[in-house]
Amino acid sequence: MSDLNETEIKVFIDAVTNYFNQLTHEPANVRGAFLDDNGGTAPVFDYSGQIAISGQFRGTITVSAPRAMIRHLLLALNESDQSDANLRDTVGELANTLAGNARKHFGGDMEISVPRTAAGAIGGAGSRKRPYVIMVSWKNYSASLVVDIERLE
Amino acid sequence: MKLLIVDDSNVIRQRIARLAGDARLHNLEIVGQARNGAEALNLFVRHRPDVVTMDLTMPELGGVECTEQIAAIDDKVNILVVSALSDKSTAITALKKGARGFLYKPFTDDQLVEALLEMLPT
Repeated sequence: MSDLNETEIKVFIDAVTNYFNQLTHEPANVRGAFLDDNGGTAPVFDYSGQIAISGQFRGTITVSAPRAMIRHLLLALNESDQSDANLRDTVGELANTLAGNARKHFGGDMEISVPRTAAGAIGGAGSRKRPYVIMVSWKNYSASLVVDIERLE
Repeated sequence: MKLLIVDDSNVIRQRIARLAGDARLHNLEIVGQARNGAEALNLFVRHRPDVVTMDLTMPELGGVECTEQIAAIDDKVNILVVSALSDKSTAITALKKGARGFLYKPFTDDQLVEALLEMLPT
């Protein structure tokens, strides 16, 4: 098994900045990325969405974002339904889109699941003891993207 | 022209439904919305839509398999895959199974409308 390298982590950074730029014409900014040495200390916000990774890779991709940020994103998309179910759905779709877009780099050997979503933290074990945490800002909001993936040899 | 929307995301289904009302798509009538491939097959048989927007990563029955099964029922149906899966092999597989077009997520409003326009007869 081996870790993703910096270039491969950048694939996810590019995906999240492109996501907001494409949908809102206002790109997200990456405020920082770090290895979560202690594990499980990545910031958790109101809603989380997670994609399980399998195939030639193993792990998870998790997005956590505050309610106000997701509401603002839905408004930017002209979507008026801001129910709790739709907010959860949106963060799950964001995670799904980032994982799916990453296959442009990793190819079809990176298989992705349907999203799991939760209010607050989302359960489920990742694969690494030190996942990459990418802190994202869009408008005045902060969100976290946790890339917890390893490549199977 | 009849449209079936297939996506496990309620937000995406709502968005496509809203955009299907664009004036440029004046004859497009939504006949159903499905959350997975199994629901899509049932709705397809019942309503026989002319155009289907098809997500790929869905529970129960995925979009590639659903596309293949729908195309086996009606090889003239226009299936537009709307998916985040951005690797070339997925797009090629979907097209081989019967899809007529592929739109990557995230998509803008105009990109979806233009992709749907390409699915409609001129």
